[in-house]
Amino acid sequence: MNERKYPSDEDVTIVPTGCCHDCGGRCVLKAHVKAGRIIRFETDDGQQPQIRACLRGRAYRQRVYHPDRLKHPLRRVGARGEGKFERVSWDEALDEVAYQLKRIKETYGNSAIFLAGGSGNQGMLHGPIPVGAMLQAFGGFTRIWGVASYEGALFASMATYGTIRTGNSREDLLDSRLVIMWGWNPANTIWDPETSFTLARVKEQGTRMVAVDPRFTDTAATLAHQWIPIRPGTDTAMLVAMAYVIISEDLHDQAFVDRYTTGFDSYKDYVLGHEDNVPKTPQWAESITTVPAETIAALARQYATNKPAALIAGWGPARAAMGEQYSRAANVLCAITGNIGVNGGYASGFMRAYSSRETSSGSHGSRNPVEKGAPPRPYSLYKLRGGTNPNSARIHSAKVFDAMLRGRSGGYPADLKMAYVVAANFINQHPNTNLGIKAFKNLEFVVVHEQFMTPTAKLGDIVLPVNTFMERSDIAPPWLGSPYYIYLNKAIDSLYETKSDLEIVKLLSKKLGLPSGMADLAEDDILRMIASGRGDIDDFETLKKDGVLKIKLEEPIVSFKQQIEDPINHPFPTLSGKIEIACDHLAEMGHPQAPPVPKYLTHETGYDSPLADKYPLQLLTSHYKTRAHSTWHNVPWLREIEPHGVWINPRDAEDRGIGNGELVDVFNDQGRIRIPARVTERIMPGVVNVSQGAWYDPDENGVDRGGCANVLTRDAHSVGGAHHMNSALVQVEPAPRD
Amino acid sequence: MTQMGIYFDQTRCTGCYTCAVACKDWHDIEAGSINRMRITPFERGVFPDLFAAYLAVACCHCQYPPCATACPAEAIAKRQADGIVTVDQKKCIGNKECHAACLKACPWDAPQFGPHEGAKMEKCDLCRDRFDNGRQAICVEACPMYALDVAPLTELKQKYGDRVSAAGFRYHEKYRPSVVFKTKSPAGQ
Repeated sequence: MNERKYPSDEDVTIVPTGCCHDCGGRCVLKAHVKAGRIIRFETDDGQQPQIRACLRGRAYRQRVYHPDRLKHPLRRVGARGEGKFERVSWDEALDEVAYQLKRIKETYGNSAIFLAGGSGNQGMLHGPIPVGAMLQAFGGFTRIWGVASYEGALFASMATYGTIRTGNSREDLLDSRLVIMWGWNPANTIWDPETSFTLARVKEQGTRMVAVDPRFTDTAATLAHQWIPIRPGTDTAMLVAMAYVIISEDLHDQAFVDRYTTGFDSYKDYVLGHEDNVPKTPQWAESITTVPAETIAALARQYATNKPAALIAGWGPARAAMGEQYSRAANVLCAITGNIGVNGGYASGFMRAYSSRETSSGSHGSRNPVEKGAPPRPYSLYKLRGGTNPNSARIHSAKVFDAMLRGRSGGYPADLKMAYVVAANFINQHPNTNLGIKAFKNLEFVVVHEQFMTPTAKLGDIVLPVNTFMERSDIAPPWLGSPYYIYLNKAIDSLYETKSDLEIVKLLSKKLGLPSGMADLAEDDILRMIASGRGDIDDFETLKKDGVLKIKLEEPIVSFKQQIEDPINHPFPTLSGKIEIACDHLAEMGHPQAPPVPKYLTHETGYDSPLADKYPLQLLTSHYKTRAHSTWHNVPWLREIEPHGVWINPRDAEDRGIGNGELVDVFNDQGRIRIPARVTERIMPGVVNVSQGAWYDPDENGVDRGGCANVLTRDAHSVGGAHHMNSALVQVEPAPRD
Repeated sequence: MTQMGIYFDQTRCTGCYTCAVACKDWHDIEAGSINRMRITPFERGVFPDLFAAYLAVACCHCQYPPCATACPAEAIAKRQADGIVTVDQKKCIGNKECHAACLKACPWDAPQFGPHEGAKMEKCDLCRDRFDNGRQAICVEACPMYALDVAPLTELKQKYGDRVSAAGFRYHEKYRPSVVFKTKSPAGQ
């Protein structure tokens, strides 16, 4: 612990800690502690680059000391979901959990235990990790595959490059001559703490910046010279048309294509229309995307002729039906222009640059007895290593609710009977929330580790109060790109009767007759062991004392530099050893929605689908600047900034008689939410946006007054696992007067 | 006398509100009460030709502060050494009696009153507790975009130029607010 005194206050101890929920950053916080209570925070004021916390981290005091913190273990007394609980002791609560775990294991087998492990804690010691290890020792459990955030981008990255490590250090953009920010809004989603500031520097040095997005986001408004609004779900068409311009005008890098890629000719056949008699011209794309043909052609020419250029394909457009195709099309565009493996270029893909987030935790992978020996999932990239989850014992996270209701008879690998929920507001943050509630009510037992009575915790039979990362120690690896670690020093004692996930595992393991393993050691000792296994933490004590370890790299990370400079000795980790414009693994799958080359594919909730007659507005469910998913939803300092509402263009609002700030219903066949309209030109006509993460709060008629976006999203996924979070169709109408 | 001033780079501001939240945390200000740092979003134009910007304004620490002139209780004063405009809460008679004369006099709403009747005025004092200990204002240290700075006005002008207006901010010659801006405009996009 750092004993540096703040000059104006002799009673204050400054504890270096950090912020580590699931946004795109892990940031430094310095807690000023007085008489055992945090009275204020500062952030990184040390060496550059500083890892400055955003508004979420700065508001953390109101999260720690929120009056609604869960204070003691609870047992359900009413019907499940009714929200009636009684206070019980830790011993009673954990006896019940242990009894139910044993009963369900004996009655149905371990596969009936579903671990709903969420992303609410990103430390390496707490959260779902120790719970997974415990359940594994207990004989195993069923878990998900498919992460809502990025599964489409991940699949595309693996299919094209054979790896998810496709990103560059952010500062490398200073060498770019053009930056295209496609469906990417780091001003709100952070994408590593230094990203927005670096982009501002890139813009200030005169580099042309373009944003492609259905919304005039804070990123587009601040960091771009040009904004190209595009109809949701049609990004692939524009990328393919850009390839058309580049190939037909001979602007592609043939030498690069010949040397480092495979399958260019078959993509060319698709793009030029040799395959299907439909040349994918900018005019063809204009009718689909609404982007003028000349805008598409101009951007294509700029991108191909201003090398090195960085095309950064964000995950949002891949979080959609056929999202894999968008991400694949972007990767391929990087390849045919030879913008890969060079300073100032960019490969897109999954975009991880630094490796420190990869953990060696035992809860990942095939050491889970329930998954052992399970064959690869059909339509998975099972021949590739690292990044895909081909195990057929897992259930796609968009289909867990359906699996809970239908089990093996519905074609799922398990009959789920209980949910063990950790660091997850599961029903709020997975598609089709109303189905999720039905599914959770169908289970025999639900236990929840939580800090607040979330809509998911409300469905618990036993709710265990968990402390925050101010009340325990942990290490946070950064997100995707920056080489640093944050040591979250415990700043205050656990409030009320709360315990850490690790402490709970320790107590529960005893009741289950399991060896508690590492959990018997002190937090700091376990963290020392974890750190020693990393390879890039050479001074644990300094990390702990300073709260942050910034790793100096000799030069910025540029993915695939070795593969480009020395291809003989450094093949790409694909099956062919090359960048796969046409992917043989995909060809083998033989699925029409996972073609060997990226293609623009229509689908049943597209803007041109029959369903659009009934629900004519396309729904986006973006991230929001005041929340990380559903975390921070209830923090007053953040709630007052911009009230939750549905973004709607004035033309669409006027058509419906809706004024700014008025209550409206957003609905489709899956559900209905009632929130204020934010009438703004910053979203294109025909599109509405409800940022995800607001807490589900139904009234007596089942209308969600909280405005949970997933009441409206579909519980579906594309072949490669892409969630359809940005593909729902809705209607909006004025709310009935109460 | 040195006059302290505030610099705001409007071209860098993404509207993240980190400065405002850091301010409330440091000064322990409840939500829904006062805003020492105020962020105003702007949106102009019609789809797809748009301009959007944010303006962050705390207190401009005017050379001739209209709030001080308006205050019937002489509770507002300029510090001799650095020109920081401060309020003496012991002297402030609350917003009921004077009808918030200082707030009405300020073109930028810097004087702030809590929601209860008779609330006393509070406003940005450039983090006087930090300043007097040689520390930068909390908003400046918080900004992830390095879009804010607090320093003697002459230094700010040397470093950043002498623009004194921005989108959403009108300069008043008679008050001489101690501000420097980098201004965002549609043409500057």
